Amino acid sequence: MNATREFFPKYALQIVVLVLVVGIMATVSPSFRGEAALFSSLERLIPLGVIAAGLAVTMIAGEFDLSVASMAAFAGAIAVQLGGLGLIASILIATVVGVLLGSLQGWVIARLGISSLVFTVGTLILLRGATWLATGGVPVTLTDYKLSDALTVRIWVFTPLSLTTIAVLAVLGIFLSRTRWGREVSSIGGARQEAVASGVKLRSRLVLAFAISGGCGALAGALSSFRGGSATPDGLANMLLLALAAVLIGGVSLSGGRGDMVNVAFGIAITAVLAAGMSSIGVKAFVTELFTGVLLLVVILLEFVIARVVAHKAVVRRRQPHLAVT
Amino acid sequence: MSSTASIATNFIAPSQRGSVIRFVTSYTLPLLVAAVFAVAATSTPDFATFANIRAILINTSIVGIIAVAMTAITISGNFFSLGIASSTVLAGIVFLAVSGLTGSALAGLGAAVVLSVALGILQGLIVGAGLNPVITTLAVGSVTYGLVAITTKGAVVTAGSVDVAWLATWNLLEIPLPVYIFVLFTAVAWFLTEHTLIGRNTHLLGANRATARNSGISPQATTIWAFIAFGVGLGVAGALNASQLHQMQANDLAGLTMDVIAAVLVGGAAVSGGEGSPTRSALGALLIVALGNIMLLHGLDNGWRVFLVGGIVVVLVVALHVLRKVSTR
Repeated sequence: MNATREFFPKYALQIVVLVLVVGIMATVSPSFRGEAALFSSLERLIPLGVIAAGLAVTMIAGEFDLSVASMAAFAGAIAVQLGGLGLIASILIATVVGVLLGSLQGWVIARLGISSLVFTVGTLILLRGATWLATGGVPVTLTDYKLSDALTVRIWVFTPLSLTTIAVLAVLGIFLSRTRWGREVSSIGGARQEAVASGVKLRSRLVLAFAISGGCGALAGALSSFRGGSATPDGLANMLLLALAAVLIGGVSLSGGRGDMVNVAFGIAITAVLAAGMSSIGVKAFVTELFTGVLLLVVILLEFVIARVVAHKAVVRRRQPHLAVT
Repeated sequence: MSSTASIATNFIAPSQRGSVIRFVTSYTLPLLVAAVFAVAATSTPDFATFANIRAILINTSIVGIIAVAMTAITISGNFFSLGIASSTVLAGIVFLAVSGLTGSALAGLGAAVVLSVALGILQGLIVGAGLNPVITTLAVGSVTYGLVAITTKGAVVTAGSVDVAWLATWNLLEIPLPVYIFVLFTAVAWFLTEHTLIGRNTHLLGANRATARNSGISPQATTIWAFIAFGVGLGVAGALNASQLHQMQANDLAGLTMDVIAAVLVGGAAVSGGEGSPTRSALGALLIVALGNIMLLHGLDNGWRVFLVGGIVVVLVVALHVLRKVSTR
C-alpha cells in the first residue's frame, strides 16, 4: 500500500472531491454559501463525525465495529433517561457505558480470535434490542427540555457540539500518530503479524480500539439525543452507512493499516457538506442517502482501480531489472 | 499438523476431528427448534393451535426464502448483504406495479425476479472483482432505497384493482402457497448446494479462495452465481410479501435485514465461508420467527424480541467459533 503514497500525493483524491462537492453545492444552492453554509455543515458533525471517528479507529486497526450506530442509539436512550442527573453527568455516564461495552466487545473478539464483522453484527442486533428496552419501545423525551440549551449556544459558526467533534478528532489524531499505544493500534491494522512479532500486545490494543469506538458511538448518541431532546428506539440506524461512507470516502483502507484522522476528517467534511447542501435546497433525506451511496460506490471503485494500477506498475517495475540481468 | 502424515490422515479421515463440530452444527439447531416448540406448546396456551403455527409458517416463508438464498453468498465467503430490506421492497413494488399494469400477478412476479437477478448480477460483478461485499451491498442497498423513494415519492404503491392476493392466499390443506414455495425453494437450494458442480465450487471458493482459484474455479463466476441465487430469493420473497400486504412503500420492512442475517448466522453458516447449509438457514429463520411469536403471545414487545435474537446470535456465533477452533486444533 506504500506504493500508493509514492504515486499519488497523500490526500489528493479527498481534496479534489471536497472542492468539487463544495463547488457543486454552492452553485446549485444560492443559500448554501459563506458563514451559513459553514454553520449548517458543522452542525452535521454530531452525530456523524464522532461516530465516524470511532468507526475509523477500529478500521485502522484492521477490524470492523458494525455495532457503532446501535451503540449510539442505546447511549442516546440512556442519556435521555438519566437526564435528571444533569447534562454533563448523564453524557458522561452514557459515554462510560459505551466505553465499557466497547471494551467488553473488544475483549471477546481479541480473546476468542473471532471475526469482528460477525461478532459486531450480533451486537448490532443486541444493542438495538437494548435500545428498545431502554426506551420502552416509544420515543422518550427530556423532562427538562431546557437542559440541552447549553449545547446549542452559537459561537460564530461553532456550537459546543461541533467543537466537541473537532476536539475528539484532534485528540484521536494525536493519539494515533504521536503516542506509542496509538501507533501500535495502527500497526496491528497494517501488518498484524509483524507488529505482534515486534512485541505489540495484540489483545490489549484490540480492546483499546473497540473501547474507543464504543465510547465515540456513545458520546455521539448522547449528544445527538440531547440536541433533539429525545431518543427513539429505532433512531440513528442509518448512521452506520453514513459513518462508513465518511470513513471510506476519506480514504481509510478497508483492509486496515492505511489512513489516519486527517483522512477521516476529510471524509466527514465531504459527507457533512453533501448532507447540509442537499438539505439546504430542500432535498429529502432519502435523496441524500442515495447520493451518499453513489459517492461511496464511486470512491471504493476508484480506490480499487488505483490499487490495481499501482500493483500492476509495481510488478512491471520489479520485472525490468530481472529481465535486464537475464 | 507439521508432518505430511498427519495432514494425510486429516485429509482421509476428518471424522475424528470434525465430528464434534459436525454433530453440533447438524443436530443442535433442529434440537433447539424442537425444544423451543415443545416448551412453548406446554407453557404458552395459544401457541400450539393450528392457526398460530400457520401464522408462524407464513411469516417464516418470507424471512426464510431470503435467508436460504443469502446462504449462497455466505458459503462463497462473501459474508452477508446489508441491503436486504431495500432490495426486497424494490421487488415488492415492481411486483405490484407490473401486476397493476399487465393485470397478471405472474407477470409481476416474473418482473420482480428478473429485476432482482439483474441487481444481483451487478453486485456479483462488483464483489467478484474483489471489492468488499458488506460495503458494496450497503451502498447498493442505500442507492436502491433512494431510487425507490424518489420514484414512488414515498407514497404507498398498490396493484390497483388487479387481484394479486391469490399468490399469498391460495392454499392447499389450509396451508397457503408461500409456505410451499418456501419449502420448494429450500429443497432446490439444498440440491444445488450439495449435489451440483456450482454448489461445490461455491463451498470451495469460500473455504479457500486461493486454492479454489488455483484449481480452476473462477471466483468471479462463482460469486456472480451466488448473487444470482440471492436475487431470485429476493424477487420471490418481495413479490410474496407485497401480495400478502397488497401494498408497499419505500420505508417498509425495516427489521428484515437483521432478521435474515440472524437466521443465517443462527443456522450455523461460517461467515468466513465454506460452511453452511440452506436447510439450516431455513430452520434458523423458523426459530427466529417462532421466538418472536412466543414473545408476542406473552405480551412482550418488539424490544424483547430484538434483544433475544441478538443474544442468541452472539451466543451461537461465539459457541460455533470456539467449537470450530477446538475441532481443528
